[in-house]
Amino acid sequence: MSGLLEGAKNLVTKGTDIGERLEGLSAATDAATGRLDDATVDGARGVVERAAGRLKLSSEHTVVGIAGATGSGKSSTFNALTGLELSAVGVRRPTTSWATACVWGAEGARELLEWLGIPERHQTTRDSMLDTRREGHELDGVVLLDLPDHDSTEVSHHLEVDRLVGLADMLIWVLDPQKYADAAIHDRYLQPLRTHDDIMVVVLNHIDRVPEERRESMVADVRRLLDNDGLQKVPVIPVSAKLGWGVQELKAEIARRVSAKKANKQRLEADIRSAAARLDEASGHGRPRSLSKGRVEALDDAFAEAAGVPTVVDAVERSTKTRAARATGWPLVSWVSALRPDPLKRLHLDLGAEGRQLAGRSRTSMPQASAVERSRVEAEVRALADEAGEGLGAPWQEAIRRASVSRMGDLSDRLDAAVGSVDLGVRRLPAWASLVRVLQWLLIVCAVGGLAWTVLLALSGTLSDDSTPKVAGFALPLVLLVGGVALGIVLALLCRVLVIGTARARAAAAEHRLRSAVGQVSRELVVDPIEQELSAYTALRQGLAKALK
Amino acid sequence: MTSPAPGDAADSTRMVTALVRLHHALQDVALPLDIADAPAQRQARATMIDQLEDYVIPRMMTIDAPLLAVVGGSTGAGKSTLVNSLVGTRVTAPGILRPTTRSPVLVHHPDDGKWFGQDRLLPEFERVDHATNDPGALQLVPSDLLKPGLAILDAPDVDSVEEQNRLLAAELLAAGDLWIFVTSAARYADQVPWEFLKLAAERSTAVAVVLDRTPADAVQTVATHLARMLASRGLKDSPLFIVHEGTVSEDGLLPSSYVAEVRGWLDMLADDAAARHAVVTQTLDGAVRALAFDVHAVADAASGQAEAAHRLRADADMAYDEAVSAIMAATEDGTLLRGEVLARWQEFVGTGELLKSLENRVGKLRDRVVGAIKGKPQQAERVTTAVQGGLELLILEQAEAAAERAERAWQMTEAGRGLLAQGPADLGRASRALRARAERSVRDWQQDVLDMVRQEGQDKRTTAKFLAYGVNGLGVSLMIVVFASSAGLTGAEFGIAGGTAVLGQKLLEAVFGDQAVRRLALRARQALESRVRALLEDERVRYTGLVDALVIDEEAPARLRQAARRVDDARFATQRPDLGAGLGFDES
Repeated sequence: MSGLLEGAKNLVTKGTDIGERLEGLSAATDAATGRLDDATVDGARGVVERAAGRLKLSSEHTVVGIAGATGSGKSSTFNALTGLELSAVGVRRPTTSWATACVWGAEGARELLEWLGIPERHQTTRDSMLDTRREGHELDGVVLLDLPDHDSTEVSHHLEVDRLVGLADMLIWVLDPQKYADAAIHDRYLQPLRTHDDIMVVVLNHIDRVPEERRESMVADVRRLLDNDGLQKVPVIPVSAKLGWGVQELKAEIARRVSAKKANKQRLEADIRSAAARLDEASGHGRPRSLSKGRVEALDDAFAEAAGVPTVVDAVERSTKTRAARATGWPLVSWVSALRPDPLKRLHLDLGAEGRQLAGRSRTSMPQASAVERSRVEAEVRALADEAGEGLGAPWQEAIRRASVSRMGDLSDRLDAAVGSVDLGVRRLPAWASLVRVLQWLLIVCAVGGLAWTVLLALSGTLSDDSTPKVAGFALPLVLLVGGVALGIVLALLCRVLVIGTARARAAAAEHRLRSAVGQVSRELVVDPIEQELSAYTALRQGLAKALK
Repeated sequence: MTSPAPGDAADSTRMVTALVRLHHALQDVALPLDIADAPAQRQARATMIDQLEDYVIPRMMTIDAPLLAVVGGSTGAGKSTLVNSLVGTRVTAPGILRPTTRSPVLVHHPDDGKWFGQDRLLPEFERVDHATNDPGALQLVPSDLLKPGLAILDAPDVDSVEEQNRLLAAELLAAGDLWIFVTSAARYADQVPWEFLKLAAERSTAVAVVLDRTPADAVQTVATHLARMLASRGLKDSPLFIVHEGTVSEDGLLPSSYVAEVRGWLDMLADDAAARHAVVTQTLDGAVRALAFDVHAVADAASGQAEAAHRLRADADMAYDEAVSAIMAATEDGTLLRGEVLARWQEFVGTGELLKSLENRVGKLRDRVVGAIKGKPQQAERVTTAVQGGLELLILEQAEAAAERAERAWQMTEAGRGLLAQGPADLGRASRALRARAERSVRDWQQDVLDMVRQEGQDKRTTAKFLAYGVNGLGVSLMIVVFASSAGLTGAEFGIAGGTAVLGQKLLEAVFGDQAVRRLALRARQALESRVRALLEDERVRYTGLVDALVIDEEAPARLRQAARRVDDARFATQRPDLGAGLGFDES
C-alpha cells in the first residue's frame, strides 16, 4: 500500500493539498491498525488505496456516473447527454445490466477506464466517431458512465453500482415521479453520501408525465426529501430525457463542474474526510500525553520490591559487615564469624568471576516474588496504563492496557537476570581494612614476641632486673604483651564503627545499581510498550489533523 | 357456503385454543441478547404476534366474515387510484407527492359492517369514519357500490422512504385474505415488492397482481416478462390483470372500462361463497402453516439466547472464582508472610537472627516473646496493619484482574459485547467502592480472629499464660499461623516464614492446646474465605446482574415448540377429520 501511495505522491500530488490529506490519512490508518476495530481501519485503508489509484490517473478527466432506480430513465438520460443511442432503452426491467462509458477526449482515458473496470466493448469515444453534429467542447474531459440499477431483483447490478458509485468523481442521481420517495435510494445511497454533497446532482426525469400544474410542487417535494437526507447543497434539475427538456441545463451543470477540473479532487477529499472522521470518532479526542515521572518511579519501586532488592541490599550490608569485620577484627576471635554463612552466597549472588563463567546466566536463588509483591506490580502497571490512557477513546485505552501487560510474562526472569548481573561490589575489601589487617597481625606479633620475651625473662628470673628495658616504669616485654593485646582489641572495636559505615555505603551503592538495573527492566517491559502506543496515538492525531484540516 | 359440520366447530375451537397458546408462548419468549440472528428473529417474533392478533386468531373465530382484499404495492404504482376506480367513488385520496396514503382505508358493504368492528381484524387500529393521517387509525367506509361478502383495504406503499409506512404496509398485508398487488411498468422488477411476493408464495397466500399505469405500447413486453417472473417465483396460479395508463377523471377515477376486468373478478369472488371460502382457507391455512414452521426458528433463537446467557454467567463466575482461589492460595502458601508482614512480625518477636538460631528451643524463647508482647503492645498493632495492607492489596488486584478477565471473555462473544455496551462504562475495572469495602472486610476479619481468641480463652482467662500474652498478641499469632497453615510451606526460603509460623503455633499451643489451635486456625481461615467470597460476590453481581436483568426464561423455547406442535396437530386434524379423533389430541 505504501508503495502505491509513494508512487501516487511522486506523480501528481506532491506538495498539493489533496496529497497532504492523503498522506495524513495513510499515516493515521497505519497508526490505527490493530488498535481500532478492523472495519473502520479497513474502510480507511480502502479509501487510501482508491484515492492513490485515482490520483495516479488522468486528472484531465472527470468520471461522471449516472445512477438511479430501474425505469427511472438512466439510459435515456445518458443517451440524451451523448446525443447517441448508446445505451439500450426498453420497457423490460431491468434494462441495463452493465455499465457503459462514453468518453469525450480519449487522451489518457484508457488507464482510467481500465481502473474503473469498464471493458472496451462498453466504451465509446465521442470524438472518434465521424461526428457531424458539432456542438462545442463543453463536455471535453468527461467520462460518462451509465450505471445499472440499484433496486431491481438482480443483485449483481447492486454490487456493480456500489462499486462504481465508490469510484466516480461526480454522481448524477436520476429520480422519477413514481420512485423518487423509495427507501431504496434514500436510505442506501443519498443519505450515506451526504458528506459528498459537493459532487452530486439530482435529476427528476420523466417530468413530462406529470401534469404541468403539479410539476413545481413535485420538485419541491423532492427538495424536501433531499433536505431530510442532509443534501441541501445538491441541485435538483427537472428533466425529460425523452423530449429533451432540461438536458441542456444538465449538460451545462456538468460542464461547469468539469471545467473546474475539481470534481475528482472534491470527491477524494470528501472520501478522505469521511474516512478520517470515522477514525476520529472511534479514537476519541483526548490530547496525547506523556507519562508522569512520579508514576514511573512508583512502578520502579514496585519492580524493585518484586525483584527482592531490599533483601539483596540487606544481604550486601550484612555480608560486607561480616567480611570486613573478619578482616579487621581481632585475629584471634574473628575466625568464629567464618562459621556463619555469608548471606550473599546463600542467594547465589556471589559466585565470583569463575563461578559466573561456569554458571552462565543461571538463576539466582532469590525467592520468587510473593503474591503481594506481584499484586503491587500489577496495580502499579494498571495505574500507569490508566494514567497514560486518560481522556483517550476506549479502543486506545484498551490498546494501552494490552501493551502494558504484553511483556509481563517475562517479568520474573528478567528481574532475576537484572539482579544477577549487577556487580554488588562486595568482593574487594576496602584498602583501609587490609592495612588494619596488617596492623592487627603486627600487633599480634608484638604481643607474641612480648609474651615469649616475658616468659624467657621470667624463667631466667631477670624480669624485674634493671637490665630489662623499661617503658614508663614497666618492663618492655610486658608492655609489648599487654599493649599488643589491648591495642588489637581497641583497634578491632574502633574498626567496627568504620565497618558499619562502609557496609552502609556499599549497601547504598548496591541499591543504586540494582535499582537502575530494575528500572531498565521496567522501562523495557512496561514503559516502552506504553510509550509506543502513545506515539502511535500522536501519529494518528497528527495524521488526522492533516487529513481534516 | 356450506354450513359447517358439527366436527368443524370442534376442530375450529381446538385450533383457536392452540393458536392462543402459541400467542402466549410467543409473548413469553424474549430475545434480549444481541447474538447472530437475534434482530431478525426479534422482528419475526413481533410479526408473528401481530399476525396472530391481527388476522389468524380473529379470522379463525369468524371464518364466515367477508373476504378482505388488501391492495398493496409500491409507492407511485397507483394503488389509491385503483381502489377508487374499483369502488367507483373517491374513498381514498390519491396524490402526486410521494408517499401518499398514510392511514389505511377499508371499504366494505354496509351490511358487512359488523364484521369489521374494533374486536375483529386488526384490533390495535382505532376505527374512524373520516380521513385522517393518523397511522394508528383504520378508516371504515361503507359503500353500496361494493358487493357484500368482500371488502377492500387500501394499504400504504411497501417501499416508502417513510419507515412507518413500510411497517404498516407489512402489517396490513399480513391481515389480508387476498392480496391485490399493484405494480407498474417502471416498478415490476423492483426488489422490495418482490420480497413481499416471495413471502406470499411461501405462505400460499392468495395473490392477484395488477399491472398498473402501463403505456399501451409497452404492455405486451412488460406483461409477458412479469408473467414469466411470477411463474419462476412460485406464483404461477396468481391471476395477472392489466390496467392501462389513462386519463384520470376529476374525482380521481379511471374510466370504469379500464378496471372492468379486476372488478369483474372481485364481483365473481363476492358472489361465489365456495370460491371465497377456498381463498380464505388457502390463505389462513398457509399463514398457520408458516407460523407453526417459523416458530421453530424463534424457539431456536430463544434456546440460543438461553445458552448465551448461561455462557456469559459462566464466564463471569469463572473469572471471579479464579480470583477467590488465587487469593486463598496466596494466603495459604506462606508468601504473604514475607516482606512487610515478616519484618513486622520479626520486630514483634525479636530479631530474625536470634529466632533462627533458637527456633527449636521454643520454651526459652517464649519468655522473650512474652516480653516483647507485653513490653511493646504497639508492635502487635504493626503486624496487624501489615497483614491488612498485604491482604487488601491482594484482594484489590485480584478483583481488578477478575474484572478484566470477565470483560475480555464477554468481549469475545457477540452477546457479551452488546451487554457491555449497555452496562456501565467501567465494568472492566473493579468497582470504585471496593477499596473501602476491602479495607473494612479485612478489618472485620481481624476482629473475628480476635473474638475467636477471646472466646476460646474464656475459661482460660485467668490462666497466667493467657494474661501474659494478651488477646492482641495471640490474635496476631493466629493470623500468622493461618497464613502458613498449609502443608506446602517450605522452610527453604530462609526458613524464616516456616520458622516464624512455627513459633506462633508453639505459642498458641502452649496456651490453648494443639487440638484447639488447629480448630481455631481452620475457623479463622474459613472466616477469611467467606469474607473474601462475599466481597468478590458483590463484584461478580455487576456482571451476572446484567444477565439476570434480561429475564431469559429457559423453559420458554420448549413451551413454544410444544405450542407449535399443537397447532400442527390441530391443522392435521382439520385437514383429515377422520384422523382427528385418532390423534389423541390432548387438551390438557
